[in-house]
Amino acid sequence: MLTQNRFCLLMTLLIIVCCTSLAQAIDLEKKVIKTKLANGLTILMLDRKFSPTVSLYIRHRVGAVDEVKGQSGAAHFLEHLMFKGTPTIGTKNYASEKKLLLQIEQIGRMLDNERMKQEKTDQKLVEKLTMRLKQLQSEHRRYYIPNEIDRLYTENGGLGMNASTGQDVTTYFVSLPANKIELWARIEADRLLHPVFREFYTERDVIMEERRQSIETNPDGKLYEAFMKTAYAVHPYGVPIIGLPQDLTYLNQPAIRHMHQKYLSPENMIIAVVGDIHTQKTFKMIDQYFGRIPKSHSQPTAIPAEPPQTQERKVEVLFDANPSMIIGYHKPTAPAAEDYVFDVLETILSKGRTSRLYSKLVLQMQIADSISVHNGMPATRYPNLFAISARPRHPHTNDELQTAIFQELENIKHDPVSDRELIQAKNQLKMDYMKSLDSNSELASILSYYELLLGDYRYFSNYISQIEKVTAVDIQAAAAKYLVAENRTIAVLNKKINNNPSAGKNEK
Amino acid sequence: MKNKFYSHIRIGLMILLLCGLNPSDVLAAETFTAFTAPDKIKYPDLKFRLLQAERIVLENGMVLFYLPDHELPLVSITALVRTGSLHDPQGKEGVAELTAAVMRTGGTTNVGSAEMDQRLDFLAASPSISMSLDSASVSFSFFKNDLDACLDLLSQMLRAPAFEEDKFQLALSLKSEELRRTADNPQKLAFREFNRLLYPDDPRGRYTTTASLNNIHRNDLIDFHREYFFPANMMLAVSGDISKEEAVNKIKQYFGNWNSTRNALDILPAPKQAGQGIFFIRKQLPQSTVVSGELTVSKNDPDFYAFSVLDFIIGSGGFPSRIFSAVRNNEGLAYSAGSFYRARSNYGVFGTYAFTKTSSTFQALHLINSILLDVETGSISQAELDWAKKSILDGFIFSFEQPGQIAVQQMTIAYEKLPDDYLSGYRKRIEAVTRSDLKRVAAKYLNEKRRLTLILGDTDQFGKLPKKWKQPVFISPQQ
Repeated sequence: MLTQNRFCLLMTLLIIVCCTSLAQAIDLEKKVIKTKLANGLTILMLDRKFSPTVSLYIRHRVGAVDEVKGQSGAAHFLEHLMFKGTPTIGTKNYASEKKLLLQIEQIGRMLDNERMKQEKTDQKLVEKLTMRLKQLQSEHRRYYIPNEIDRLYTENGGLGMNASTGQDVTTYFVSLPANKIELWARIEADRLLHPVFREFYTERDVIMEERRQSIETNPDGKLYEAFMKTAYAVHPYGVPIIGLPQDLTYLNQPAIRHMHQKYLSPENMIIAVVGDIHTQKTFKMIDQYFGRIPKSHSQPTAIPAEPPQTQERKVEVLFDANPSMIIGYHKPTAPAAEDYVFDVLETILSKGRTSRLYSKLVLQMQIADSISVHNGMPATRYPNLFAISARPRHPHTNDELQTAIFQELENIKHDPVSDRELIQAKNQLKMDYMKSLDSNSELASILSYYELLLGDYRYFSNYISQIEKVTAVDIQAAAAKYLVAENRTIAVLNKKINNNPSAGKNEK
Repeated sequence: MKNKFYSHIRIGLMILLLCGLNPSDVLAAETFTAFTAPDKIKYPDLKFRLLQAERIVLENGMVLFYLPDHELPLVSITALVRTGSLHDPQGKEGVAELTAAVMRTGGTTNVGSAEMDQRLDFLAASPSISMSLDSASVSFSFFKNDLDACLDLLSQMLRAPAFEEDKFQLALSLKSEELRRTADNPQKLAFREFNRLLYPDDPRGRYTTTASLNNIHRNDLIDFHREYFFPANMMLAVSGDISKEEAVNKIKQYFGNWNSTRNALDILPAPKQAGQGIFFIRKQLPQSTVVSGELTVSKNDPDFYAFSVLDFIIGSGGFPSRIFSAVRNNEGLAYSAGSFYRARSNYGVFGTYAFTKTSSTFQALHLINSILLDVETGSISQAELDWAKKSILDGFIFSFEQPGQIAVQQMTIAYEKLPDDYLSGYRKRIEAVTRSDLKRVAAKYLNEKRRLTLILGDTDQFGKLPKKWKQPVFISPQQ
């Protein structure tokens, strides 16, 4: 506490600096420490002292795009299985357990093979194998301590422990009290090096339920899946992350192990640690645990490029829900200069009540219920889409909405946006940027994301200065080049009328 | 970046979370080949200060909570108003929500709606006013240099909304579109109907319909605003890059001359009775939504702490919790399943849910109900109790990660009229929960006979009804 006065003075100075220039409010480049382990793993650390907590992110440059054809869903399935423990986490006797796991795998494979025969399936055999599998699974439970990773984290105050799988990247993250970093290093390095894929077949059922929940019963999920499939004819961005039902139903252990091998590649990994940390000690601890991952000589997956689109594509989904639509245009990905331009255009079209699309379609014409624009769908590693999602307001239709949206895009091409609009959009992007600097987990997420995908977290720290450079002419040029009919995909969802017998007796 | 640990904050409590070895000792002993067992890792001490926002009462009765946060050049304001959709006049359900929407979008007596939108968008400031069941909340953050411009617009919105007719009509139409679309989302539909059935003959169970929207006129919004938006009926939390002096002076400048002799409204009495029974909604989908629940203890009840721990173990404590383990891990019946406990100051709601394929609908529900029966027999182990308590207590510091969050939290405690020592006593009271408490509260508050169960799905395909059930009641939700 002796240093309190000195700190107060320093703070006062900093506040003055903040007021004079927003761009200097947080000078990330001066605060972020970037280092590498001998095996090539990059570490980003940022010391923030407000609360005694820390957010920890591990990102792998491995996602659904890296799957083998016919094994869609493997990256996401692997992520689920990474929570099942290791030879030293989650077991009462690993040696005995291991034998059972092998048997479970064998019987499960036989069962899958039999079911795959479809009409020719021997139902009696299926029943027999199912029984046997159930028996083995319950025997396995005698040795298995479920949910140990979850227990260890929650019991030590972990918050928001989770993982996510994207097309480009898979992420494992948690926030902990700042004195518990070693627990994280211990668990994460162990499960990365020695995962045990327990409860394989029940977890596959869980993912089938996840698919039902997020796609089969969800109009937005249905429409999005059809849209992506149509927009990408060749590139795997067109394949759903959760997996196609026909692939997911029979995904097996070898597919998951193949995917896991791709994790063991330190040069394709980033660790970000943001919070109340002692950076040297933290680095040393990370090195102790993650330094054990051997250097890899992995070859990047060969991913076919999406050929340029030459004519408009359309798809219609029929579902028991009110209409909605997505329109998307192919475009370059970050850090291309044009990607920044599309960030500004996204803002001009959709951010705030005075934005072009909202004010025109929702407020003036009153034909839309909602409208949103997303630059960079579905991910960042490969050329992506500038996408507009909208829902018509009854009795208006997707067609009317589509005509009005096209008209607004034509206006952007024909007349440069006004100075005021451009300044407003830049103000809004600055505000979003500021708000993202406010939490440990958000900072850890953003820094690791850009470091992994663009090779440099400074994409983020330089973001606002790049946005400042975007001009009205740039916007007009990008719109004229990319927002054209032959480069677009239109997906619409329209209501399917169910002929189900109207709801039964005992109405209330 | 500024070191916030040394900012001008009143220190409340200091809690030593864990004792252990010094980190350097652990590192020095570090030559192992195998990993240490995770439960044997020794951790350094953690010092934790429970920060407190300052509470200031203006002369007109408005209560202000303040905690600075100088890290970013932003100021944020959150307000709570004692109102809510349970105050909707009967037959005019939707008035409360429309009032909030049109206060934001319908202009003020000085500034027209178009001008308001332009000014706010140019400042990159997007205030929101939202209505929930038993409160309205306002949330607004902006660049500190725009303090005057933003406070001016906010105070006009709250004090002198114009409710322009065309913006009122637009809000009505958008609400009506939302109603059309509710059934598109099975979970949303199921939870709305569950609420209606849970609170029979109570304003909490009523919801907006096309018919109730038809009864609403602009004057209803004006009346609703006049009835509930007055200084003593609201609380403000201010945090961000602003000194206490400036915060108080500016709030006084924009809200101090808002005079009203009325006192804050009381919290409405708890619902008298809860709905029960089994209800079906037919919708042809491959997955069913299964929700059930009952009324239970309030936040002010001494049993609140034991019930919170119980709920954590039953189904809100993530993967190791009972419902999650049984329904998801062991049986693979659902991706989402668990329990929820929403405690308010004078009553609480406890419930469970699972989203499962049509053919396993009854199986999932049966599993959940067996878990609830089982905990009443005192089956929760000491290890489960220890895990739950440790998790709740160690996670507690995350409630204090950001100053804005702390100020809002303290405002919420005041709003709910909880005792002053609620936060400081929270840890102690969770710590004191025993296995016999869990058995007692489970037996006292969980009861299948009193339970309300709602299942939405392809009802014809559910299979044979469980034996002890009476015929479920089919409902057709209104639009």
